[in-house]
Amino acid sequence: MQKTASFHKKHKEKFLYRDNTVGYIFAAPFILSFCFLTLVPMALSLYYSFCSYKIGSTPEWLGLQNYINLFTNDATFINSLLRTCQYVIVGVPLKLIFALLIAVLLTKDTKLQGFYRAVYYIPSLIGGSVAVALVWKQLFGSRGPIITALKAMGAPASFSFFGDTSWAFVPLVLCNAWQFGSSMLIFASGLKQIPKDYYEAAEIDGAGVMKRFFSITLPCLSPIILFNLIMQLISGFMTFTQAQVITNGGPNYATNYIALNIFTEGFSYSRMGYACAQSWVMLLIMAAVTGIIFKTSSHWTYYEN
Amino acid sequence: MKKVLSLILAIAIFATMAMVPAFAEEKAEGWNNVNAEGYTYPDYSGKTLTFMWWGSDTRAKLTTQVIELYEQKTGIKIDYQYYDGTTYWTQFQAMMAAGTLPDVFQMGNNWATYYDTIQPLNEYIDSGLIDTTAISAAMLATTTNQANGDVTGISNGTNARCFAYNPAIFDECGVAYPTDNWTWDEFAAAARTITEKTGNPAITTLEYQTLIYSYVSQYTEGANFYAMDGSDFDFGGDTTSIAKIMDLLVNLMKEGVIGDYGVQNEIGTNIEADWIATGDAAMIMLSSNQFQALSNVAAENGISLKLATLPRVTADGPSGMLVRSSQQLSIYANSEQKEIAADFINFFENSIEANEILQCERGVSINSDVLNALIADHPDDTVNNEIYAMINLIGSFPDAANNSPAEPTANEEITNVLKQTYIQGLFYGKYASAQEAADAFWAEAQQIWAKYEAN
Repeated sequence: MQKTASFHKKHKEKFLYRDNTVGYIFAAPFILSFCFLTLVPMALSLYYSFCSYKIGSTPEWLGLQNYINLFTNDATFINSLLRTCQYVIVGVPLKLIFALLIAVLLTKDTKLQGFYRAVYYIPSLIGGSVAVALVWKQLFGSRGPIITALKAMGAPASFSFFGDTSWAFVPLVLCNAWQFGSSMLIFASGLKQIPKDYYEAAEIDGAGVMKRFFSITLPCLSPIILFNLIMQLISGFMTFTQAQVITNGGPNYATNYIALNIFTEGFSYSRMGYACAQSWVMLLIMAAVTGIIFKTSSHWTYYEN
Repeated sequence: MKKVLSLILAIAIFATMAMVPAFAEEKAEGWNNVNAEGYTYPDYSGKTLTFMWWGSDTRAKLTTQVIELYEQKTGIKIDYQYYDGTTYWTQFQAMMAAGTLPDVFQMGNNWATYYDTIQPLNEYIDSGLIDTTAISAAMLATTTNQANGDVTGISNGTNARCFAYNPAIFDECGVAYPTDNWTWDEFAAAARTITEKTGNPAITTLEYQTLIYSYVSQYTEGANFYAMDGSDFDFGGDTTSIAKIMDLLVNLMKEGVIGDYGVQNEIGTNIEADWIATGDAAMIMLSSNQFQALSNVAAENGISLKLATLPRVTADGPSGMLVRSSQQLSIYANSEQKEIAADFINFFENSIEANEILQCERGVSINSDVLNALIADHPDDTVNNEIYAMINLIGSFPDAANNSPAEPTANEEITNVLKQTYIQGLFYGKYASAQEAADAFWAEAQQIWAKYEAN
């Protein structure tokens, strides 16, 4: 008894030997960068959002003026909110459906399963890059192969994706959907968790492929769908690179998504305070949408235990 | 006696002390003329200078050669980076925010926007470190803040917005070449015929704001969109002229004569990607100094191009055109080696050897020694001769000196809304008439101006 007490005493000072310490040391890079690269900038941006602030100058307190201007006197901002919603509403389900479809196809045990999964994951690794956006710009461009093919199939000669306010977002949505890899992997691992006997029992009872998919796969996968939906919604609201590189927000602000608008206000027009206010409005909207989905999720997700 | 002696000694010491700076000051005018015979370059071995510019691939190739030349002569190491015209400003703003701008950077006529980051060059010009003996006062004035006399940079050369055209396509379509005073009607007729015959847009790159601001000056003699010194608007608010030119441009876009937004956006600021370089479009609007890079690419496709003036409202009316500084080299206000930066600028702008490499690709050199040497050495350089001739022609227009080169701080935002909100809005049918769009534009332009005024 005495021996253990002295042992503890001996090691009490040895701060480094404690399990928690080691944990914190390993987590330190993240904790530090989270504080200095996320928390501090966020707090600052909240403060700036109530100010008139130009980089390099002293912020000047405005109170709620920035927020009032956003909703009463800024058609471009309201437009970019609506356009972002359009992008999310069309783009996110499309991407998830695509990811789920491929994941289901890849559950079939074949020798090449691993290979296919890797191949389908590649777009997710490179898809957000400027280089891919440039390729996409050429692909859907006015002299690109897709337009040429569409025209050969009878599209009007004047048709162009990027020259048309109602079509310009389509290539952006497709580019996003094409990066379905990470959602697909998560779906695939979810699919593996579904017990085989459910399917066998259903098959014996005479359920067809569709019936099995909608009555077994979807309900069992619903927690995974919830997770993917939330992740994709958040990244959808923050979409920037493709819109900036491919369409530059145009034509006539048709793809001027909120992140792009924030960038223009902040960096092109040097109105950082105003841009920060927009960011916070976006954050609140994202939080609200996510909150609603979480609240309602109990009605449509199914947990086995 | 002792007192007298010590007094004499004291005076002698003071006199010698006073003479040291006096000797340093006593440099002859033009002492740092890099073209002078027996000029010795300073030794900067072990030092590193940072430098950033925007521009085409051609420019990058030429500029890096000059950088190597300067490195060779002074032993310095130059860390450089370059971007296209759009990315440059994003990078610039990020670096400005972080306080990491390079010692020397290329700056546009929008220097008012970045005024706080720029070191006035007056002391280096006064001390002769930047030799301006072969640069005319008028040219130096193009980069000077008229309000306080601060020289914000040394111009890389002069340029003018103009058109380039492919004579082969004009011939093929049976259209007469542009004349020095061709009109908007003639332009529209020529472009329509070309599109009809070739099936392609006749023109895919236009700088809308410049066209519209020029049109204001053409429509009412002596009027400018912005005042000469950029301190205000200067056309009285009559939007008839703006509506007229918007109407013409948007109609041509609707007819497919001007490439639509998609095409324009694909080309962006990368002039070498314009359809004229592949022989598809017949015309392009550009800055005269871009003609060299464009001609290089066009030549690879077997196309030779010519320059033309901007169209005007009436053949005998004002041209609305002007010769201005294309861009300039400026020193970062927080640079720790401003003297070296100044010497580099001196070399870059004044050295005949360096400019033999640069070939006026950034603009027609403002150093008369350099320009004369280049003209004498390359009598057969058709591309550059075309540019010199165009600059001379525009400079000879009686109204050229009265047209405003100003790009005030509010200009970027005004230009953006002009293009995206009003011209594209009119194109996509958001306004009943061009007049309505022009009025709405003018109202917003004033609002934007007020926002910047308030800051």
